[in-house]
Amino acid sequence: MAGYYKLDKEVWDGALAGILNTYRVFAPLKGVKATDYECIGEAHIPDIVYNHPKPVIPLKTFFIPIKENVVADTAGIHPTIIMGIPGCDLAALDLLDKFFLDEDYPDTYYASRRKHTILVGADCHLTDTHCHCTSYGLNPYPEKHHDLSVHVLNGHVWLSSHSEKGAHLLSGILDSVSFESMDEVPLEIQHVRQQQKRELEKRNKRLPNYQESTDAVVNSEASVWHSYSRTCVSCGACATICPTCTCFLLIDRPGFEKVRQLDACQYPGFERTAGGEDPLKRLDNRFKNRYLCKYLYRPEKYEAMACTGCGRCIDACIGKIDKNELLVELTK
Amino acid sequence: MAVNGNIYRPMKAVVEKVIDESPLIKTFVLVPERAFSFKTGEFIELTLDGIGEAPFTPSSSPLIKERFDVTIMKAGYVTELMHKLEPGAVLGVRGPYGRGYPLEKFIDKEVIILSGGCGLAPIRSLLYALIDIKDKLRKVTLCYGSKTPQDCIYKPLFSQLNQIDNFSTLRTVDFADRYWDEHVGVATVLLDHIDIDLPNAVAVVCGPPVMMKYGTMKLLEKGFPDHLIYLSMEKNMSCGLGKCGHCMLGGYFVCRDGPVFTYDEIKDQPHIW
Repeated sequence: MAGYYKLDKEVWDGALAGILNTYRVFAPLKGVKATDYECIGEAHIPDIVYNHPKPVIPLKTFFIPIKENVVADTAGIHPTIIMGIPGCDLAALDLLDKFFLDEDYPDTYYASRRKHTILVGADCHLTDTHCHCTSYGLNPYPEKHHDLSVHVLNGHVWLSSHSEKGAHLLSGILDSVSFESMDEVPLEIQHVRQQQKRELEKRNKRLPNYQESTDAVVNSEASVWHSYSRTCVSCGACATICPTCTCFLLIDRPGFEKVRQLDACQYPGFERTAGGEDPLKRLDNRFKNRYLCKYLYRPEKYEAMACTGCGRCIDACIGKIDKNELLVELTK
Repeated sequence: MAVNGNIYRPMKAVVEKVIDESPLIKTFVLVPERAFSFKTGEFIELTLDGIGEAPFTPSSSPLIKERFDVTIMKAGYVTELMHKLEPGAVLGVRGPYGRGYPLEKFIDKEVIILSGGCGLAPIRSLLYALIDIKDKLRKVTLCYGSKTPQDCIYKPLFSQLNQIDNFSTLRTVDFADRYWDEHVGVATVLLDHIDIDLPNAVAVVCGPPVMMKYGTMKLLEKGFPDHLIYLSMEKNMSCGLGKCGHCMLGGYFVCRDGPVFTYDEIKDQPHIW
């Protein structure tokens, strides 16, 4: 099923209505303040936001929910399609898959959800203020881990498949509709891609790349962390909203059940032991720890980037801490 | 040990016996529902049903499979409730996890062990393993410190060890009573009272963080190379799987990459003590 398939938008909407009979579908919808994934019904199909820069929540939330009973619940047995996933969130799966599907201790809940989910990637036709994927060698369009991609351009929909799962779904759609096909990436898509990439590169030209960021964090002066953490209130929003932050807490429930709840190294007491020792007791140490984790610890251990440049942590910070400004200052 | 492929589900173990070791420390003899084996220095996660889970290194011989001992100090919410358990109680067990002591590297060596307080629990398991290979070791010296004579745990262990030809023990307390005729002072002072054949020695340190820190410094002072000091870094190991992040020690997950590290491996990481 290689190639690109062009459908009329109405035809695609009709096909999607059919898909809803088999799959639970999440797609970005415009809310009052922001665009985010919603579980959609037929009535929502015309309102789906295509090619938006990024939904509010990261993709990881579908695979490691905020809170889940990891002993009693059965994970992700319902076939699910997630639409409108930006390239940055898909790139985050490099790390998440290595982390949760490691040979010694594969997480069956994560594995089951990954298996039963079809990922539909979307090019970003716009950029958000803090988007900086290109600074880390990524692009504002899906390049890996997606099963299907959907582009809506000029009243048409371009579909392409990128895995067996995607090919199966695509052939089901194409069976009953009329379409045009193309072997190469259509010129109009290439044009938008180049435009978005140039825009991001221009906007973020002061930003250090990944390796430069790592070096800067490692060789930093303590005073920078002290000064940037002054407005941090340890709310953990940066970690919760991060597509690659994975830390969690195990909460015990009767019957030897365990509830896994997302946690954050930014919370006081995160590493505290029963004996009272707390290596991350100081706010500036906790604050710096997250940067070390993103730019040094995780990449070194898993050979995968732990920041994909989505910029959500900057958007979410109520202390108005700008990670990118910090990295620029560190590399001055 | 994952039950039915689920890495979070514990298996059950029944408390067979409870031994009072000191006012704050008890040993629980546990009989697991299935055969269970561990290497010395590896740890388990013990669940008090519906209350909480905490990491412990078994204190019994790794050669015994039918039952194992866990020595628990009353230190927080979960351990305080564990201390109320009586024989017949059922606990959850996950594990064993992590990297234990590399016994093969102790062959033909003199093993200097520095331990304090409840840190003797993992060490007792190590000592049983060392007794098993005693003919292949030059010498084993245990230096143990506790706050008071009452806080000194495993009292019969010391006489048992002293009866073995190439094993010896030294004990110290921070505060002696009138019956105490051994050393007085912090555990690290014991290192001044032993002869160490440095070129043929390895050191093992396990105890409270302050003792680990000063013990390591003392060993370095005595000329031990960084890579021959084995430290048991007991951090907040919550999941045991290298996933939850609570026990991170710089780039390491103590639960998977440790808990036994050489000083060489961790000395450049931030906030190790």
